[in-house]
Amino acid sequence: MNRYVLTVFLGWMMACSVPPEAGEPYVVEDIATPEGLVSQVGALEFLPDGKLVAAFTRGEIMTYDPAARRWELFAEGLHDPLGIHVVSNDELWVMQLPELTRVKDTDGDGTADLYENITDAFGITGNYHEFNYGPERDSKGNFYIALNASSSGGPMRKEVRGRVNPDGRDGETGNRQMYSTVPYRGWVMRLTDDGILHRFASGFRSPNGLVVDDEDNLFVTDNQGDWVGTSPLFHVEEGKFYGHPASLVWTEGWSRGSPFHLPLDTLDSMRTRPAVCFPHGIIANSPTQPVFDRTRGKFGPFGGQLFVGEMNRERIVRVMLEKVNGKFQGACIPFLDGLGLRKGNNRLAFAPDGSLWVGQNAHGWLGDVGIQRIVFAGRTPVDIHTMSLTSEGFKITFTQPMQDTAATNPRNYQFSRYYYLYHSQYGSPQQEVETIPVIAVTLSKDQRTVNLQLASLESGYIYELNLGDIPSKWKQPLRNKTICYTVNTLRTE
Amino acid sequence: MRILERQSVIIWGLAMALGGWTAEQAEPAKTVEMNVLPGLQFSEVRFAVKPGEKVRLVLNNTDDMNHNLLITRPGTRERVVEMAGKLGESGPAAGYVPNTADILWTIPLTAPGRSRTLIFNAPDEEGIYPYVCTYPGHGNVMFGAMYVSSSGEMPELSEDKHIPEIRRQHSMAERRDHPYTPVAPYHYRVFIDGASPAAIAVALPNDIAYCWDAGTCYLRFAWHGAFLDNTDLWKGKGNAESKVVGDIFFRSETGFPISVANKTPGEIVYKGYRMKNRYPEFHYQVDGIDIFELIHETPERTSLIRMFRIPEVSVPVEFRTSPGEGVVYSASAGVWKENVLHLSPQESRSFAITMMKADKK
Repeated sequence: MNRYVLTVFLGWMMACSVPPEAGEPYVVEDIATPEGLVSQVGALEFLPDGKLVAAFTRGEIMTYDPAARRWELFAEGLHDPLGIHVVSNDELWVMQLPELTRVKDTDGDGTADLYENITDAFGITGNYHEFNYGPERDSKGNFYIALNASSSGGPMRKEVRGRVNPDGRDGETGNRQMYSTVPYRGWVMRLTDDGILHRFASGFRSPNGLVVDDEDNLFVTDNQGDWVGTSPLFHVEEGKFYGHPASLVWTEGWSRGSPFHLPLDTLDSMRTRPAVCFPHGIIANSPTQPVFDRTRGKFGPFGGQLFVGEMNRERIVRVMLEKVNGKFQGACIPFLDGLGLRKGNNRLAFAPDGSLWVGQNAHGWLGDVGIQRIVFAGRTPVDIHTMSLTSEGFKITFTQPMQDTAATNPRNYQFSRYYYLYHSQYGSPQQEVETIPVIAVTLSKDQRTVNLQLASLESGYIYELNLGDIPSKWKQPLRNKTICYTVNTLRTE
Repeated sequence: MRILERQSVIIWGLAMALGGWTAEQAEPAKTVEMNVLPGLQFSEVRFAVKPGEKVRLVLNNTDDMNHNLLITRPGTRERVVEMAGKLGESGPAAGYVPNTADILWTIPLTAPGRSRTLIFNAPDEEGIYPYVCTYPGHGNVMFGAMYVSSSGEMPELSEDKHIPEIRRQHSMAERRDHPYTPVAPYHYRVFIDGASPAAIAVALPNDIAYCWDAGTCYLRFAWHGAFLDNTDLWKGKGNAESKVVGDIFFRSETGFPISVANKTPGEIVYKGYRMKNRYPEFHYQVDGIDIFELIHETPERTSLIRMFRIPEVSVPVEFRTSPGEGVVYSASAGVWKENVLHLSPQESRSFAITMMKADKK
């Protein structure tokens, strides 16, 4: 990824040349929330002073001092806030349903007194699913927000904000697929420093997670459903379309009527595919906020990788990206399952001490409520560190030296490949599931890396690898055994 | 399984006291006391037991109608109710209990004021076992859920699809909306009928409340009463709106009321609000001219005072009203001509408009 990440990882590898202490490498702790608070967490961040700031569905924004374990109210009355950008200890930019709002304590009494409209230059029909996500800032000072499409499960209100375009809705009943009848539902928008909100990219369904990397690349998760065969992570670039047709009506100069009436082939040729697919029921059913591990080792050996929340089970997912032929693609793997973690893992934030805080939410779907934190206990996990595409298969790097007889046994690497359909139906079954034999395994001298040669390697598939019992050199079991790599393109070099 | 009238329970207790019971039967049972609430509701709408646990369920019919209680296999409540409905004329003789293997245990029809006790061992299989009264007309409202699980966990009450919808909230008395008790003035941004989706609802002292619309930048309506009921809005996915609790005494028919220099307002821009002693002062612009509006209650229970500032204005301003908005307008400055208040540039910099609920003639 970048140099410091590499340095941290090399440091880890050196530290790992002695047998690690046995025991759980990560510990999940509950954070008590105030009595009377329905702690459906919409946003979670840390302030410069080290306090946590959290927004809740009923409109409260509260701060939490981890040292004193004390909660305090900062602001109230917001409409389903789902994102916070921290400007200072006194100023937050809050993404709520009607607008992006500057919430600021200007008189120093500890509670907000200014609620200033930063931008409301988008429509709302009052449909319950018009959640707004972000804002995420890049190094140039641009902010990205994402606007959920409206749900076919609910109506538009009779009074809306914004110009109505019925072409953004499907069919006669208008009641089958998620829709975009006011600007710019289903878009990712960019706010420039002159305060103008610009269209950035279209084709989103329920993009409940944005993150910007150190090189200003924007990544966005979306949720499985109509037009989304399985939940994706997209690398989002200006002007591109990511698959859900409804939002296309707000493309500048759009003159092609209802995008739902375009031939499937046309839509398919217009879309940009996910950098990473989260296979449904295997890795994640409802991925949420991605965060980069920038803790410089405080959270373990996965610096520079992404951690992504999952709503539907007690899980945090880990994503490793690489550029192949100039495009991001990569793999996803469970990071942590159970250990007391709840469901509904909606918001993630790294604390200054390197622990990962998780805010939970259900919002009428499957989930839980509350706040927990995941602490790295200092014991190196036995896990896959990275999975990388090679010209003949994959290279798997482990966090520790692995036992050589198990690590070189091809039967310990069960590959299957499949893809998901792009269509208007809700989700997709796996297509053309096929087992792919491993024809050769080579283990590196340090016993940390295996090169796997596959009988067949083709683009357009997800390669799911299920590992057998490969213990570490010190006989500790591998924590996670299923990893899925999305091959959009093969290495041409 | 045994059904005991209250009398036999006493005998059973006596026998236990005498030590003449077997160890298996003497094992303490989890006791659930089930009363009947007005409105065809079981007092315990759900409870949790462990697989195989011995349960003592006491139905105290504290209602004025007959009720039974059937525990069914998971997912079969509606089917059992439907079958009970089809018993027709044979229903009374059967105690409204259909003949089906979906029913695991039955407390037969129990008359008002009577009690019956059911003792059983919970199923070994974890699951959500419904219980229901199949007396005619009761089955679709009078039910609950027995959670059989070793963890004893149950979903949040508000999200439990296995209990009647009206029971998915805690009673008003024990309900807390927030970790603090809001004291007027306070506000919510909500979806509410009669405004755009960018509405702001504000509770003021003296039981007055108003809805100022950030989507249109004007006061839409005002009411007196207990502010809002957000139960539906906050429940589940929020496919609902906030409900006004009280009587609406003002509703705008004018639309955006301010015109500057006799022009029809062009671009109206919402800028935000600032709390002034906890009262929001709204800030918006009409064709680039800043307008500030702060709304207070008055000592009268059904009137509002709207304090406007237009600091930079150098042209005359008009404030328009319509008859039939439910209020009588008065102003601190300017001249009324019919329903329009005319203000000089000087007067426009700071003026107040009072809206008092009109007497119904």
